[in-house]
Amino acid sequence: MSDNRNDDWLDRILRDDARIALEDTGFTERVLGALPASYKPPNAWMKPMLVIGSTALGGLLATFIAPIGPTVIEGATELARLQFTPAAGALLAMTATLIVAGWVLTED
Amino acid sequence: MPPAAAPSDAELILAVIERDDRRAFAEIVRRHQSQVRTVLRRLTRGDMALADDLAQETFILAWRNLRHFRFEARFSTWIYRIAFNAWQSEARKRREVLLDSDDEKPALEVAAAEEGVDAVSRIDLERALSGLSEGERASIAACYYADLSHEEAAEALGLPLGTVKTHILRAKAKLRARLASSEDKT
Repeated sequence: MSDNRNDDWLDRILRDDARIALEDTGFTERVLGALPASYKPPNAWMKPMLVIGSTALGGLLATFIAPIGPTVIEGATELARLQFTPAAGALLAMTATLIVAGWVLTED
Repeated sequence: MPPAAAPSDAELILAVIERDDRRAFAEIVRRHQSQVRTVLRRLTRGDMALADDLAQETFILAWRNLRHFRFEARFSTWIYRIAFNAWQSEARKRREVLLDSDDEKPALEVAAAEEGVDAVSRIDLERALSGLSEGERASIAACYYADLSHEEAAEALGLPLGTVKTHILRAKAKLRARLASSEDKT
């Protein structure tokens, strides 16, 4: 038997086997029973907003309660005057952290 | 009045995405369950219970990820990709478990009991398929049982196109030899 005829024979056997339909026998019901409660995913913006919001709130509380507070306010004032002091640097670092956190979360 | 045409896969998928329509998803599962389960049975060397567990996992993953489905592709191609991934992760887990085991015989006896008249020839085929390497078996399952092109199979399996073609050639040579020898015996 030539290779081509062999291939036809083998192709037919494989395709015939692939065509045999399996009865559902409750499979679909089992899948439906195992599905999560709802298809709709939670709002995509909820998670980043919660994380960024709580980070920002924590930052604000730290500004007013912790001893670092005056330094951050000082930094903002100096930054507004375009003076790049260590306090201004700290404020920039905090802002950058918030932006990176937001970006990472939205990419997630 | 002529009967209404059955909705396409794309229409059913939109119904799930937009309205959380479970009946639409049930119809998708009913349409594709046979082929997905058959492909997984071939991949798992005839282990029907494992194949059905993986098929169930495949459809649940499809449900969770339907919004990522790109409508330019065939739904069947997309779902086979999920099925192959499910099988590959399971195979990785089992390999860890079965490292010390030298006996990994397929569940052919169960298949024989349940399949009836054509069981003998199907068992020959199943036995021949189970003797292939995983890559060869996966390539045959993708191209013949899932009816994917070589390119689609390569994409679904995460293999280079040349490797899939080589696997198919080698697999067919082995299958020819094994099936011919089992015919000689009968």
